[in-house]
Amino acid sequence: MPEIFIDHKRYEFEQPGKVLQFMLDNGMDLPFFCYHPSLSIPANCRQCIVKAGMPVFDRDRGTFKLDEKGERIIRFFPKLMTACSLDLADGMVVYTHHTDELVKQAQADNLEFILINHPLDCPICDQAGECPLQILTYKYGPEGSRFEHKKVHKPKAIQLGPRVILDAERCINCTRCVRFTDEISKTHQLTIISRGDKNYPMTANDQVFDDPYSLNTVDICPVGALTSADFRFKARVWEMNQTPGIDISNGKGCSTWVWTRDNLVMRITPRFNEAVNDHWMPDSGRLSYRTFNENRISKPWLRPDNKEQVRTTWNNAELTLREELDKVESSQILVIGSPHASVEDNYTFKKYFESLGVTDFYYLPHVVPGAGDDLLLSDDQAPNTLGVRALGYSEIAGDKLPKIVTSAKPKLVFILDDDILDRSDLTSSHLEDAFTVYWGTNHNGTSLAANLVIPITTAVEHAASYINVDGRIQRTVPAKETLYTNRRLNLEMSMGRLDHYGTKFDNWVTDANRIDCIPAWEFITRLNPGSDTFAWESSRQILAEIGGKLNIFRGVTYEQMDEENGIQLNLEQDSEVNTV
Amino acid sequence: MSGTKTFDEKDLAEIEKLTKKYPEKQAAVLPVLWYAQDKFGHVDPSVQKLVAETMDLPEAHVYGVVTFYTQFYEKPMGKHVLDVCTCLSCQVCGGYDILNYLEDKLGIMAGETTPDGEFSIQSVECLGACGYAPMLQVTNDKYVNYLTYEKIDKLIDDLKSGKQPGFESNKMPQHENGTE
Repeated sequence: MPEIFIDHKRYEFEQPGKVLQFMLDNGMDLPFFCYHPSLSIPANCRQCIVKAGMPVFDRDRGTFKLDEKGERIIRFFPKLMTACSLDLADGMVVYTHHTDELVKQAQADNLEFILINHPLDCPICDQAGECPLQILTYKYGPEGSRFEHKKVHKPKAIQLGPRVILDAERCINCTRCVRFTDEISKTHQLTIISRGDKNYPMTANDQVFDDPYSLNTVDICPVGALTSADFRFKARVWEMNQTPGIDISNGKGCSTWVWTRDNLVMRITPRFNEAVNDHWMPDSGRLSYRTFNENRISKPWLRPDNKEQVRTTWNNAELTLREELDKVESSQILVIGSPHASVEDNYTFKKYFESLGVTDFYYLPHVVPGAGDDLLLSDDQAPNTLGVRALGYSEIAGDKLPKIVTSAKPKLVFILDDDILDRSDLTSSHLEDAFTVYWGTNHNGTSLAANLVIPITTAVEHAASYINVDGRIQRTVPAKETLYTNRRLNLEMSMGRLDHYGTKFDNWVTDANRIDCIPAWEFITRLNPGSDTFAWESSRQILAEIGGKLNIFRGVTYEQMDEENGIQLNLEQDSEVNTV
Repeated sequence: MSGTKTFDEKDLAEIEKLTKKYPEKQAAVLPVLWYAQDKFGHVDPSVQKLVAETMDLPEAHVYGVVTFYTQFYEKPMGKHVLDVCTCLSCQVCGGYDILNYLEDKLGIMAGETTPDGEFSIQSVECLGACGYAPMLQVTNDKYVNYLTYEKIDKLIDDLKSGKQPGFESNKMPQHENGTE
């Protein structure tokens, strides 16, 4: 197998590749700014320079030439090489800053040049804490500046587009953002303008940087030059908890990081998932974080005698629901599942009403034709359409729904987290004769029309799985506490610095951001105390139960989803589903 | 607005010819921009847009190229554009003195045009004539070398009377010694 010697250590490689990527893959560190594994390699930051050479080959003998000590004679490249663009070669010898003084000096000098015109505004810069330039300077950089002259000043706080703000002074011209718009989103909206010490990235004259993926440039910016208009000055990186999640605003289900502080989701950024979204995600998914914080249903709501909705207690909600259930036959119950709710919620929802004798289950797909593109947006706006279908719910078009309601004349309607009044021809007048129970996360038209509203957890408050448009099942991890969960007790939840070292009495902690809601399955266990069939303790258990019943989900576990960033399901077995 | 700028059929044929010279159309941006600047006298945003659309390239790319070169005028310029080099060698030999003198003389700052539309001054980077520093270039054409205040005065007078500076042949010290 071909071999390469890095800092006197021998490594074997199978695939052709670049030295820098090989080193990163093998856990070695080398400073760099402009390199990005998913973009082309311009090698313009010059930070990853190494000393590299090849052994001298004796063609006559067919062996490597050896010196008197019996070691291979190495012919080094005349200048230091950028590791990011240097191809791996059999027998190559590489020295990094760890073993070579020249490389160490060259990297330090290069960093000093990069820092020459960089403003010293880390204390007010949003990137601080997750800034490669800050980290590498801390690690390798000069302690002070030898530059005694006026720094070059460039425009600051330019609104490049609706979501991205540019601070040109901080830019080190790595061109990652330009390459992103050229190679990934292909809108070609950015370029580097001017030249020399005056250059910075910019859109063409009167163009607006309205790329639907524009915020990815903020992620890959190795300095604070591009910042998110939305997240700017909201929170420090080290104040937040970082929890893996998935984007539930779209059918694609991009892997995400959910950043929370004091139980508010502050921002959502993409998490690397080769099978789904690579390093990217659409802007719309990031901005959907608001739905987790704002307009949430907290505590059950009840509409006594068709008057105004009022908050009520869980006990009262439970009793009212039981009373209503006692009044009706199973044929008078209409159950509508949701492509917006998780597999677990939909499964338990269906199982419960099956036990009451209900036979028909519907869901309303949420597809906006033309909303998708070839990259990471799908026409399907719901995260779990294939999941709810796989569980045996029947799809029903929005214009057919009123007919079902008027013909079946249900006395009791159950709707799982989905604003169906908004998307179908159904109006609240259709539901006037029925007692409507809405299980939802956010207030909307449908929840306002309901007689009883049960608050349930969102994707950032529970562990649950969702099946994306490509049939990949992925799961979320609770990132935000509800009134009934606790970071310190739930080992799956992440603990940030504030959680570790703060107390309940610190002035940055408030209980106001904890929503009074429970997972839908938990409410079902509450409705069935003492029952063995509905005695779940976690969503893990529910998924195991589904796996035992439905072929598609056989063997699917949270552990495997965590390890492999989701599991591709074989949806060919879809036909077997409806037999359950 | 003085109407939308367009390329007529002759222009398009010429651009097609220029583009065909290169394996990639990106490479033809420079000659096409020169062509456009010759036609319109400048390559302001509307011309950049026209070039980008004609060549089917991103406007941002064309904009980036235009801003890289001080030889491309991003706005209408005076009749005579004086590009004073203030890059390293000229700076050391008094490039900024020359620039400041010129600014005072014409009453405008670098990057501006005189109200009568006669002169524009630009402070530019290296024009590759370090041996003749300090120097300036007149409207992307002739170099005026070894600048002094008197030479500037004469240049301005000449230009005002319609006389373009001639080509100066300057010998380097090694040529004078005959050693080469």
